Amino acid sequence: MLRRAVLQTFRQGLAQSFFKRYAVSLTETTVTHQPIETSDEAGEKSVPTQKTGDESGNTVVVAPPEFRFIYPEFLPDPAMERRNRLREKLERMDMLQRRSVIEIPEFYTGSIMAVTVADANSPNKFARFVGICIQRGGSGLRAWFILRNVVDKQGVEILYEMYCPLIQKIEVLRLERRLDESLLYLRDALPEYSTFPMDMEPERRLNNSVVPINPLKVKLRPRPWLERWERQNLQGVEDLNLPQRFYDRAEKVAKPWEKYDLMLHYRKTIPAEEQEKIFAEVHSQLQQQELKRKLRRRRGSDNEY
Amino acid sequence: MFQSLESGETKLSYLAVKICLAVDITLSLKAFRLFFNHEQIRTMSRVKRRTTHPPYWHVLKNNQRTDEKISSDNLRFVQEVIQDKYKNKSPIKGSDLDIEKTEWDPKTKRSGVIARNIGVQHMWEKDGKKVICTVLHVLDNHVIRYVPPEEYAKSVIGAKMFKNRKPLGCLVVGAEASNPERFTRQYCSLFDEVGLLPKKRLARFIVTPNAALPPCTPLTAGHFVIGQAVDVYGKTIDYGFQGVVKRWGFKGGPASHGTTKFHRRGGTIGTGRDKARVWPGQKMPGHMGSERRFNRGLKIVRINMKYNIIYVKGTVPGPTNSIVQIFDTALPRRKFTEAPPHPTYFPPEDGTLPQEDIWDSSLHVFGSPSISV
Repeated sequence: MLRRAVLQTFRQGLAQSFFKRYAVSLTETTVTHQPIETSDEAGEKSVPTQKTGDESGNTVVVAPPEFRFIYPEFLPDPAMERRNRLREKLERMDMLQRRSVIEIPEFYTGSIMAVTVADANSPNKFARFVGICIQRGGSGLRAWFILRNVVDKQGVEILYEMYCPLIQKIEVLRLERRLDESLLYLRDALPEYSTFPMDMEPERRLNNSVVPINPLKVKLRPRPWLERWERQNLQGVEDLNLPQRFYDRAEKVAKPWEKYDLMLHYRKTIPAEEQEKIFAEVHSQLQQQELKRKLRRRRGSDNEY
Repeated sequence: MFQSLESGETKLSYLAVKICLAVDITLSLKAFRLFFNHEQIRTMSRVKRRTTHPPYWHVLKNNQRTDEKISSDNLRFVQEVIQDKYKNKSPIKGSDLDIEKTEWDPKTKRSGVIARNIGVQHMWEKDGKKVICTVLHVLDNHVIRYVPPEEYAKSVIGAKMFKNRKPLGCLVVGAEASNPERFTRQYCSLFDEVGLLPKKRLARFIVTPNAALPPCTPLTAGHFVIGQAVDVYGKTIDYGFQGVVKRWGFKGGPASHGTTKFHRRGGTIGTGRDKARVWPGQKMPGHMGSERRFNRGLKIVRINMKYNIIYVKGTVPGPTNSIVQIFDTALPRRKFTEAPPHPTYFPPEDGTLPQEDIWDSSLHVFGSPSISV
């Protein structure tokens, strides 16, 4: 019964996180701060590690529900033909090993990041690239993200594999989210929306517990575009000002029944019980790594004085 | 118009041997791909490449009867009988081997191992290059019986295999123990001599007599050495009935420009002049996949002794979660120069545990610092 209660609280947490995430897209104008708890918060609070008692009296460790947003690559690829629990477990162990060496911070699509990579062809042997994260995907050791920037009036996108040992450092200069999960439309937007200075300093947030959602609406360049943006329900784009026939065609081609297709969504996601098990497995190690890093940071700041 | 031969097959399946006795099929090395071997394609086109049933001499394996209405007391009794019959055997140590201590020599053929392909993991080499490694989980292999060369040469397959060469022994290995209630009595009797729980999967490995193993010997991931080359044998992915474009790589026809009903078809199937008929072996739509293939010379880059996992550089025939067999390589330039664990690996008798995770020197270990070029 207690186990069920734990599951319920986990699911409630999931539902709350879900609605908090998508609440802004329903309201248009307000600049609201949605309380998605960051990894720092989750680590400092004593409540999220819900150690509730089992029937037998053993403590059951449950990771906070925000882990599925902070560490989405720990969840495996949902395609059933290629799943194997043992291999996923071994992959997670390798991921944690890599994370013990380098800090892979929490980031979302829309965050501005800087990545330092070992590069034999660079003068310093290291290459640093700053850009906005426009897309993120992959699961396990294959997890990747794409950074975009405009350098000398040329748009540049680089795909980085998160667990590649050539990566020396990943910094998040500005942690924020946008109204869409994928910002590929920045390729057709005016270049000022993708330009970020290469020597950008990391910004310190006033409210550390909440990841702000930037409700910026981007202006697109005139057509032709790389994709049919009018068919994709983009929230972060200004009014496209297209002739009516485009919108009519988009309506004809649209699949409005997909949001009611339970099996489709079930097949695309990992069930909540499994997610809970996976994150419970990696939770303690991730927490330990966070604590070590905090200590190192504090010791580092003490040594400065 | 050259069309490449299918890669991999050196030994024909027993069905092929039955039909094509007179044909001498040579090793299909890469050099022969330059020549379009009409003769081989014509003779091989009559060979039945896949069956859905086992050969006639196999005993019936799976229990055909439905659930009988047994009382709970009797069920418990059945469970007790099963437990009594298959009491745990203590693992065989290296010093207890019945056969004389044999020496390894370069011509020795060791046993292979049955494993499951559990997927693919990406790893990185020390210079930052990414490699795709297949993860193979060595199941609970046990030797069921050893058939000496003289006896094996008298069997149906052995006679064909060793017709023109010196006979070798055969080691029957089983993997994946499961509930005896699932199988027929005849199938369970195969394991009665050894006293093992019946295995879901059986395989035969051709070994030289000096690499023979006594029954009940466990085979683990430690049987292999880091950096060695292995051949992996499996059944390829079953694509079902496929058209000519996917199956043979035909180009089909134009997608537009007025083409009428000719987008993914084969086109012409003969000349009309020479021979005036369709040659046997003409490439047409049909069943694709589910065929036995070898991927040769794959390098072992990592062994996990705790979970019995081998990471092999490259890919392996078959889909994820399918059973494969792993052998020491047959490629002449990649064979062993030093003695491997012969005849197999036994954990050290002084109780010291082996190193859990062994990595090849070319791979970047995940816990070590980032690569700086």
